Amino acid sequence: MASPAQQTTGGIDLARYHGWKGKLRNRWAGCFAMVRVCLLQVIRRKLYWLVLALGVSVFLIYWSLIYALAQLNLPEFSDAILAEFQFNVNPTPGVESGFVQFMNQQSVVVMLLLALSGSQLVGADFRLKTLTFYLSRRIDRGQYIVGKLLAISTLIATMTVLPALLLFFEYGAFTTGREYWLANWQVIPAVLGYGAVMCFTLSLMLTTISAYLQKMAPIAITWACLFVLLKTIAVEVARETREPSWLLLDLWADILFAGRVFFGVFPEREDGLIVGMNHGIAAWAILTIVCTVCMFLLVRRVRAVDVVE
Amino acid sequence: MAFLELQNLVKSYGRVQALRDVSLQLAPGAIGLVGNNGAGKSTLLKVLLGLLRPDAGQGTILGLDIWNDSSEIRGLVGYMPEITATVPMLKGAEFVTLSGDLYGMPHTDARRRAHEVLNYVGLGELRYRRLDEYSTGNLQRLKLAAALVHDPQLLLLDEPTNGLDPNGRAAMLRTIQDLIAETGKSVILCTHLLGDVERICQQVVVLHQGTVILSGEMAELKQKAASRFDITWDGDGGAYVAALQRAGTSVTPIVHRAAISNGTLSGYTNGDGTFDFAKINAAQVTVGEDWTTSTFFQLAQDHGVVLRRLRPVEENLQDLFLRVTANKQDGLPPRPSL
Repeated sequence: MASPAQQTTGGIDLARYHGWKGKLRNRWAGCFAMVRVCLLQVIRRKLYWLVLALGVSVFLIYWSLIYALAQLNLPEFSDAILAEFQFNVNPTPGVESGFVQFMNQQSVVVMLLLALSGSQLVGADFRLKTLTFYLSRRIDRGQYIVGKLLAISTLIATMTVLPALLLFFEYGAFTTGREYWLANWQVIPAVLGYGAVMCFTLSLMLTTISAYLQKMAPIAITWACLFVLLKTIAVEVARETREPSWLLLDLWADILFAGRVFFGVFPEREDGLIVGMNHGIAAWAILTIVCTVCMFLLVRRVRAVDVVE
Repeated sequence: MAFLELQNLVKSYGRVQALRDVSLQLAPGAIGLVGNNGAGKSTLLKVLLGLLRPDAGQGTILGLDIWNDSSEIRGLVGYMPEITATVPMLKGAEFVTLSGDLYGMPHTDARRRAHEVLNYVGLGELRYRRLDEYSTGNLQRLKLAAALVHDPQLLLLDEPTNGLDPNGRAAMLRTIQDLIAETGKSVILCTHLLGDVERICQQVVVLHQGTVILSGEMAELKQKAASRFDITWDGDGGAYVAALQRAGTSVTPIVHRAAISNGTLSGYTNGDGTFDFAKINAAQVTVGEDWTTSTFFQLAQDHGVVLRRLRPVEENLQDLFLRVTANKQDGLPPRPSL
């Protein structure tokens, strides 16, 4: 006969210990749990809602404009607005794809979000010694690093790659023939390629910086120095010297140049500096060096010996 | 069968040796790992988990190599760290589920088990609260639940009662005791609170300056520790005590406090300052390992005294710990430091 405790809990005796006889999965599955938890952490903090709302707003504006362009009979109005946003859905040769512009604009929101969330997603693991918790489970530091990179990459991709692809499919859905798909199918791998560069580079840099600096203020300041101060310096030096290679000093621009390699288009700049495929290749080299240094530093930081008090 | 076997384990941090030639062989059960602060307890736990690579030596735990099979070991071992080590913004159930996921459990199983173990440790009502709302006691229980979620064979508990009030401490110890009694799991309890170890553990390992100075069954060690006896006799004890001393014992007289005058025992000492056992009828005798109690009676009979009382001195773990660490204080070379 069931005890009162069993009766009230539907047959499960909560007061007693019950074993578990399941089979453990591959250790890499733990990375996905880290992704889920990191997204949960971002969603739960109201400060991030503002930034996420900004990103969603930009996406919705583009969505509405494409809808207006395709469905409503307001071609002049829509074209004017899209031109204002530099969003060319069907770019002519030599003109940059609107999807590159869109992702680049979204990356501003992403930069802001990463600067604010690095301390919580990664810094807290070191500040609050949560690294002990992670590394004492079945995962090792390789899986920890991959888990964190995947988590931050998911955040970036949700703000850039996913909406860009949605906009691409939205416009295609409003067309009647196959012409749009046949003419623009390369946009999909290009968006994915640019997105991959952005996700990998930014997530690795943020994870490394946050692992060392840990608190929000120093992370945000360093992030701003790397992506805003360096940009300003690079642009000013390039303009003064009329040498576009100085633009490569700007890591944000490097990510953009490396992404443009996938689209194969380097449009003319307003300041007259000519950036071409050679700068795209150089940007790849610079990002490779930066990522290698970051990975080296990160692996050094995420060592079990650091767990010891 | 030994479930934990270590041979000549050495671990250094720079020039500081945290573990020095640690060799152990322990049977399954509840094991207390005790030692002063900085004795190397936490380092030993981290070496057992494969978080730290030993500089020299080798070992197995549950039949697996502590470094080469560290991932498999962590799948069979639940670790409750001393520090809080929680993930911000998560709720109790989510944290324990994450622990299960990181151990490699299927997510649905991890989620179900999280609720079960949270109920078991008494946090059923608080499982949907955020971790920053948990008290110290609840955080300790939460860490225990996170260590239990994958139903490990062995639990490594690092200071589980740290920071708890008396009620919280008693509750935590009761939970651990129940767990051992119900499931037969092995537990390594790392603490400097000797009362906790005495209450829970059948085996004890004493670490001192990175070296194992004592290990074995608690009852056996206490038995060995019971090498001191309080004795009382009638008659001239001088010859009897001399005979005891000749037999290799150490005899300390027991006199009433009132006999002490100006810091001396003038009424009980000889001219040369030695004790006059003809005037004293009680003493504490420390004997060697091969001593048998019948020798007390035999010597008493031989020297014409009547043994009125013979009682082994009961030694708790604290006495034992203080004695063995005091003995080793001078025996060990100083630990090199930076």
